[in-house]
Amino acid sequence: MSLIKTDAPGRRLLLMGNEAMARGALEAGVEVCAAYPGNPSSEIIGCLSQVAEEMGIYVEWSVNEKVALEVAAAASLAGLRGLAAMKQNGLNVASDFLLNLNLTGTKGGLVVVVCDDPSALSSSNEEDSRAFARLADLPLLEPSGFQEAKEMTKWAFELSEELGLPCLIRSVTRVSHARGNVELGELPTQRRRAHFDTSKPILPVPVVWAHRLLHQKLAKCRDRFHGSGFNQYRGPQRPELLILTSGAGFMYSLEAVSNLGLGDRVGIAKLGTTWPLPETFLKEQLARSQKVLFVEEVDPFMESNVKGFAAQNQTQLGPKIFLGKSSGTIPDIGELTPDHLIKVLRELFDVRYQPRPQAYIQEAMEAASHLAPPRTLGFCAGCPHRATYWAVKKALALDGREGFVLGDIGCYSLGMGPAGFFQMKTLHAMGSGAGLANGFGQLGRFGLDQPVLAVCGDSTFYHAAIPALVNAKYNGSSFLMLILDNRATAMTGFQPHPGTGRTAMGETVDPIDIEGLCRALGVQVKSVDPFDLDSTVEVLTDFLRQEKGVRVLVLKQECALVRGKRQGRLFKIRVDQDRCLGLQCGCNRLCTRVFRCPGLVWDSTSGKATVDDAICTGCGVCATICPASAILKEAV
Amino acid sequence: MDQNKGFRALASLVLGRDLCTTCGACAWICPYLDAFSARIVRLHDCDLAEGRCYAHCPRTGLELSHLNEKRFGLRDVPVKLGFYSKILMARAQDPGVLERAQTGGVVSSLVAMALEEGIVDAALLTRVGKDLLPSGKIATSREEVLECAGSSYVASPSLATLNRGPWDGVGRISVVGVPCQVLALEKMKSCDLIQDAPARKVVLSIGLFCTWALSYGPFINFLRQRIPWETVESMDISPPPERILRLKTSDGTREFPVEEIRPFIQPACAFCADMSSELADLSVGTVEGEPGWNTLILRTEAGESLLEKAITQGILEVKALPADYLEHLVEASILKKRRALERLRNMEEKEFKYLKADSSWLEAVESGPKRGEP
Repeated sequence: MSLIKTDAPGRRLLLMGNEAMARGALEAGVEVCAAYPGNPSSEIIGCLSQVAEEMGIYVEWSVNEKVALEVAAAASLAGLRGLAAMKQNGLNVASDFLLNLNLTGTKGGLVVVVCDDPSALSSSNEEDSRAFARLADLPLLEPSGFQEAKEMTKWAFELSEELGLPCLIRSVTRVSHARGNVELGELPTQRRRAHFDTSKPILPVPVVWAHRLLHQKLAKCRDRFHGSGFNQYRGPQRPELLILTSGAGFMYSLEAVSNLGLGDRVGIAKLGTTWPLPETFLKEQLARSQKVLFVEEVDPFMESNVKGFAAQNQTQLGPKIFLGKSSGTIPDIGELTPDHLIKVLRELFDVRYQPRPQAYIQEAMEAASHLAPPRTLGFCAGCPHRATYWAVKKALALDGREGFVLGDIGCYSLGMGPAGFFQMKTLHAMGSGAGLANGFGQLGRFGLDQPVLAVCGDSTFYHAAIPALVNAKYNGSSFLMLILDNRATAMTGFQPHPGTGRTAMGETVDPIDIEGLCRALGVQVKSVDPFDLDSTVEVLTDFLRQEKGVRVLVLKQECALVRGKRQGRLFKIRVDQDRCLGLQCGCNRLCTRVFRCPGLVWDSTSGKATVDDAICTGCGVCATICPASAILKEAV
Repeated sequence: MDQNKGFRALASLVLGRDLCTTCGACAWICPYLDAFSARIVRLHDCDLAEGRCYAHCPRTGLELSHLNEKRFGLRDVPVKLGFYSKILMARAQDPGVLERAQTGGVVSSLVAMALEEGIVDAALLTRVGKDLLPSGKIATSREEVLECAGSSYVASPSLATLNRGPWDGVGRISVVGVPCQVLALEKMKSCDLIQDAPARKVVLSIGLFCTWALSYGPFINFLRQRIPWETVESMDISPPPERILRLKTSDGTREFPVEEIRPFIQPACAFCADMSSELADLSVGTVEGEPGWNTLILRTEAGESLLEKAITQGILEVKALPADYLEHLVEASILKKRRALERLRNMEEKEFKYLKADSSWLEAVESGPKRGEP
């Protein structure tokens, strides 16, 4: 049950930042919402999909971010309001369309929420997506809190509609995934009617003319930012130091200044409208102090822009001391924390502050250490990817030609670590394993004599691997493509995708068959159950032996968590304590030392393996690998 | 004996050093070492301090006098061809055997007879299968033995099959192998890490003469680029001075000078000091200069009684080996030893020098008969 549809204006609800933005979109009367899931953005469309039917809106999980933005843009071009949500990497995918849409302009409000992931807690890069606002000449808003996240989203639709431009909102993990109180506004009672005006084509040409028009819109936007409540100042009239901040940096700044008791010496100016710069507001703030500290995550986006602005206006503003990432005062990588700022301010103001005893962190870690079970970053118990990588490892060893696996983004990315027996050797963007394999697969003519493998998940296949596969067939590249079909977009929270036969709004549809699609391309394709290790190794070694052309192997086995929720365990697994020979086996603890499914535990008291019933999902793969046949699969 | 070590020692001293003979003795004992496509494959890392993999290997800690003492009750055996009681020429009488034999059909005849007479219940042989890939084969009938007739010239990890079986209902096993396999077999028989190893059921070993073996992968690549290799039916290498590899295919014979395939000889073979399977019950080779005849070296009672039975039953025809043929044989055997010693001496790391022999043995090799380069 999603709270975001609660029709009670004035009521305060505890909402996640992503829910607050979804609620803002609902209050703005959004009609069409689309996204490809990606942390930390996934919950926006996730919660909207749950209320879609009731709210009379359309919500979809698109195959990728570019399509998601196009779907939302279509709504806008038909006069409706559209929302597209994505993570920072997703905006890269959508950017090709975005950098044309800015020129054609939009009609109904179109908002693109991009959730950045400073410190890359669940990402393959640490990208500051704000650069796209400047690159595309588009308005950019940055919420610092939950109420603001909602209000800003709502306002972004109005702004977009007024300017005829898509409006970008940049969130970060600590805004998207934290929770706070949000006071609800009114929900619309009426929906717009979609209509496409055929009298004027939507074209970015003549380009130079369209580019000028875009700049005019941006100038208008700058005016609209003047007086916006999203830009605020807190502090004394003439502080010794002015903090210029945005996003989560605002919260950290408030906390640091308050903890150090510097409220009467330090002022905090927060920008909610970061691009184009709200010049009038900025001028007022910069006039307050000679010393300015920029506090923002990740890149010095605001810092660079404001410095340029200050240089342009130096006759009025006078010389400034700018501190921030360029001066080395603020870290230029990773998330910020209040501690970062406390350290900086303590040194600048020479104030004494002892946040907690020096040994506190160490003691806390020690105290908590026995509460958490020791686990490495890895696949869940019973994850089919573990079985797949086990088979891949064996097949590559048997093949003996130093074959290697090119990977991309998904749960299976963990194949680069111990859980996947270090089999995955590259990690870049969605579908890049297949793309790189296209290139590697052409290097035989230059002496490459190693088998080339690419790995991608089912969801990633639809997202970005299909063009790579078409390219491989067309250009005659030679590699083995492994599609790990676990029937879910598992890494981001089990969102449905074209292969699941289900839509975001819960409709049942024809699943798009991966094998059939590959077959239609004319490539050789087989499917196998990775839990059947012997067959999988056999097919793999057979496919590896064929050196020419692209071959596809679909490894079909449902995500252990999805299956667990649906039907529970496949088998009851137990270790026959009489048959397990322990250290006498000579297998050197293959199950718990090498295979290492977390569902298997080495009992140091008995000196034998045993099953952790709490997390075992009953896949039964360990029964295949035990050389003493001591692991038993029994009917549930 | 050398201190036994485990997988990691084997990996660093043998497998990772091109010293592996692909005999198969280390494979299919545990989940870590596999025999696949005529290669020993390391599947995972094992950190056990002691293992059968290391103990079985013919390229780890080989003390000749110790092995000879166990085998023949003698610490010092003749250096030239190892210990033997009799040396002869022989050939099979059965045309059915001769038709499929590489040379004189002696091995096939003896193994088939041993099975039929109940001397052994099963035999571990090497069979050349699809794609010229050799592998271990358990034979329990004359027909199965004949399927294995003929030389493969490619190193085969057949002893892995001895490790794995299946040996259900088999009490006595005969093994046919090349010298490194016969050496490994003796180490396997005396390995005390487990008591019920199949190697302990081996009552008869027939060793083959061997100068070197080819590595499967590179050799097949060579053939693949030159001939319709899938149609190869049999291979033979003619003796010096001709030295030609002849491949009989379904559409004729293809020939390559041995020099062309020399690059595909297993590097490990250069370190081998045994040409005539000196620890076998009996050894069988080809007589250079007498087409269709095998050399037969009898070394133990088991070997002698087997031959006796074969002669009595009219299975084999034998005659004396002329002195000059014997001289050639000794020369070849000593030459192989001398070369191996030279290479072992040139190795920088002492621990890789697997072969431990008395000084008298070493001197005998040095001063033995010489002949020109083969």
